[in-house]
Amino acid sequence: MTTTPATGGPSDSTIQDFADMSAALTGFQSSFLRPFLDPTNLSETFYNFVVSQAGQPAMDDLLNAFRAIKTQPAQKIADTLLEVTTTPPSNQALLCQSIIAMWYLGSWYPPANLLGTSLQQVISSQAYTKSLVWNVAQAHPMGFSAFTFGYWSNPPASLDAFGVNTGGGK
Amino acid sequence: MSNGNGSSPQYDVVIVGAGVSGNLIALQLGLAGKKVLILEAGPAVPDSREEYMENFYLALAKTPESPYPALAGRTASLAKDSKNAGTGTLPDPSILPTPRATVLAIGKGADQSHLIQPTGGAATGNDQSMRKIPFSSTYERVGGGTAWHWLGTSLRLVPHDLTMKSTYGVFHDWPISYDELQTLYGKAEREIGVSASVAQQAPLQQAIGLTYPAGYQYPLNPIPSSVVDQTVSTGTSGLAVVGDEDDENTLYDVFVSNTPAGRNSEPYQDRRVCAGNTNCIPICPIQAKWDPTVTLGKALDTGNVTMSYQSVAVNVAVDGGNVTQIDYLVWTRGADGKLTSEKKSVSARKYVLAAHAIENAKLLLLSNNKQGIANSSDQVGRNLMDHVLYLAWALSPTPVFGYRGPLATGGIESLRDGKFRSKRSAFRMEIGNEGWNFSAGDPYTTALDWIQGTNNAQTNPSEQRLGGLALVTQLNSLLTAQFRFGCLLDQSPQECNQVTLDPTITDGLGIPRPKIDYGLDEYTMEGFAMAAKTCSAAFTQMGATEFTRPTVNEPPPNTFPGPGDFVYKGKKYHLYGAGHIMGTHRMGNDASCSVVDASQKSHDVGNLWIVGSGSFPTVGTANPTLTIMALAFKSADNIIASLS
Repeated sequence: MTTTPATGGPSDSTIQDFADMSAALTGFQSSFLRPFLDPTNLSETFYNFVVSQAGQPAMDDLLNAFRAIKTQPAQKIADTLLEVTTTPPSNQALLCQSIIAMWYLGSWYPPANLLGTSLQQVISSQAYTKSLVWNVAQAHPMGFSAFTFGYWSNPPASLDAFGVNTGGGK
Repeated sequence: MSNGNGSSPQYDVVIVGAGVSGNLIALQLGLAGKKVLILEAGPAVPDSREEYMENFYLALAKTPESPYPALAGRTASLAKDSKNAGTGTLPDPSILPTPRATVLAIGKGADQSHLIQPTGGAATGNDQSMRKIPFSSTYERVGGGTAWHWLGTSLRLVPHDLTMKSTYGVFHDWPISYDELQTLYGKAEREIGVSASVAQQAPLQQAIGLTYPAGYQYPLNPIPSSVVDQTVSTGTSGLAVVGDEDDENTLYDVFVSNTPAGRNSEPYQDRRVCAGNTNCIPICPIQAKWDPTVTLGKALDTGNVTMSYQSVAVNVAVDGGNVTQIDYLVWTRGADGKLTSEKKSVSARKYVLAAHAIENAKLLLLSNNKQGIANSSDQVGRNLMDHVLYLAWALSPTPVFGYRGPLATGGIESLRDGKFRSKRSAFRMEIGNEGWNFSAGDPYTTALDWIQGTNNAQTNPSEQRLGGLALVTQLNSLLTAQFRFGCLLDQSPQECNQVTLDPTITDGLGIPRPKIDYGLDEYTMEGFAMAAKTCSAAFTQMGATEFTRPTVNEPPPNTFPGPGDFVYKGKKYHLYGAGHIMGTHRMGNDASCSVVDASQKSHDVGNLWIVGSGSFPTVGTANPTLTIMALAFKSADNIIASLS
């Protein structure tokens, strides 16, 4: 869905890039993170939150790094941005970890280089009720079930039904 | 009888505390046409639970207290040496009108913990000596009380739970027969709306003597058993364990039972069916689980019950062997946050203290200028007990799909009774449907481990960092295999486990705070050791991989002993609270060694009832709420009879 940014706010294409990058990092479908009809609009909420904590230059640099490799397979993008084989990871890779944690857990866990200036917090109640780790468990956030009586006595639907990009590609 | 200006309404009964007991007694009195005033220390029941849900969603640590007022701050430092690391800064109880015990304050000092207790780790010492340890169960002080966050488990005590002295030669007998208690259970199960099946419970008759009157039926059909329960049931099939290591020929069958639950399997009393939010504790979002506000609503509907919120009882005045009035402080917070209070008094014909075990004891000890009332036995505040909880967790060889359904739907109840009870605590084994949420803080801990390359939940020893589908696949395989047992032990009553008034430390209203001296004796620790062995045997039988950590702080960082850690027979253990606070005004027939009689009426004071789990002389292994309500029905009948 095309949104009109407030003056000075991020453009729609910037938010879409952020959602696409988040999809690669989290293993979820981009259309699941940022659906066509998106009343909660977590992509933009999270984009703005990261900018408020890490600064606009860090966000711009990260998105540019993503744009340079965005045509690659999703797993390759994630491994590259997270520097999974490099120790210790760079500040940019630490920021990617915090972005995954934000989508997965609905909370902000400041990257190590921002400790002291940035505090752990639940970003919003919607960030919690939409947090993805519960989908990874084929479940629902504790305290926020859309399922019906007795569902727990049977196995759940497959991971695809929970928004995971099980194909490994875009 | 007045509050000093002659204009106060006339009440038949004043009740202190709007929780399980208080609300049920108010309802019964209201239905009988009696005029009742409830003094509730905490704020009113909110019109909608949305405000509490929002508190829960935004809480960093989703502890039992997290939805309810006066919670910790919503931001925290991640620096480990920071005072607000991980959970946020806790409010200072000395400035709060109704501070309460919270999970986050366990092991903390008086600047964060309402309960005043030692802050160091557990003492070691020889195995026959008491282990001093922080009391680890908590309670709320809000309209509706602590059972806002009860699990819903509605197990009955078994017959031998009432006869520990005469059957096993230890502790005390209850002053009430099992036949009478069965009848009361039937009433309580109807009020709560318990979902269960007598036929499903039948195997427990032979195992632990659980019986029902002929033809008895639970009001609602059972809650379906989870995939976790089904997997444990199949996997432990044929397992039998020793109950007493000196008697290796007596084996006890291990089998899974569906747990009677105070949550709806069908619409009941205008509330909807359970949707499996996996959140009975800390709060059911849809009130499919009965809680005391349901009964309070019905009590208010009688037109005979009046609520006075933010009203903290501070003195029960006794003259000539009867209560003459209750003095209380009505508190308000101004727009500027300033706390003010006004002292009032109220009189009635009969009085009921229903403020839960610790606050009941505090109020009794506080009364009569801190000389105490109803305490010729010297038992007020003593025998503080919990169903001290041993937690064991594992990964199943096949997915169990936790984090789904009510928090628990099944348990191993077959070990709740046996001749081993002459030597050590019995226990029940609750099967959790919430993965390693209770045990390891999951899914958070494991997710962060695999995102950040740490090993706090012990499943990532090579400290890999993953992203994308690789992260999903790894976490999915772990999270869907996680499950745990929570063993609830019947702790022994000990006079030295005691609530007293702290001599100097007060709350925001200037009221002395409860000081707790508490520990475990050999009987209870031996039960712990057997619980650990039994859990491990069940995991082995299932082919599950156990991850139980002997203490919360190990590893990392290795700082044994932390709060709740202790050593017994050379092995390290960690104790969790079950949230079941019991035993501070125990009931009995002998006034020289008990506080109340079988109707929970004070032996010493003529028109005073002291009700709740504080009355339990021993605690068995049934979660207490059902028994609390059953006893409240008996008290209500007794009070009504005394009024006519």
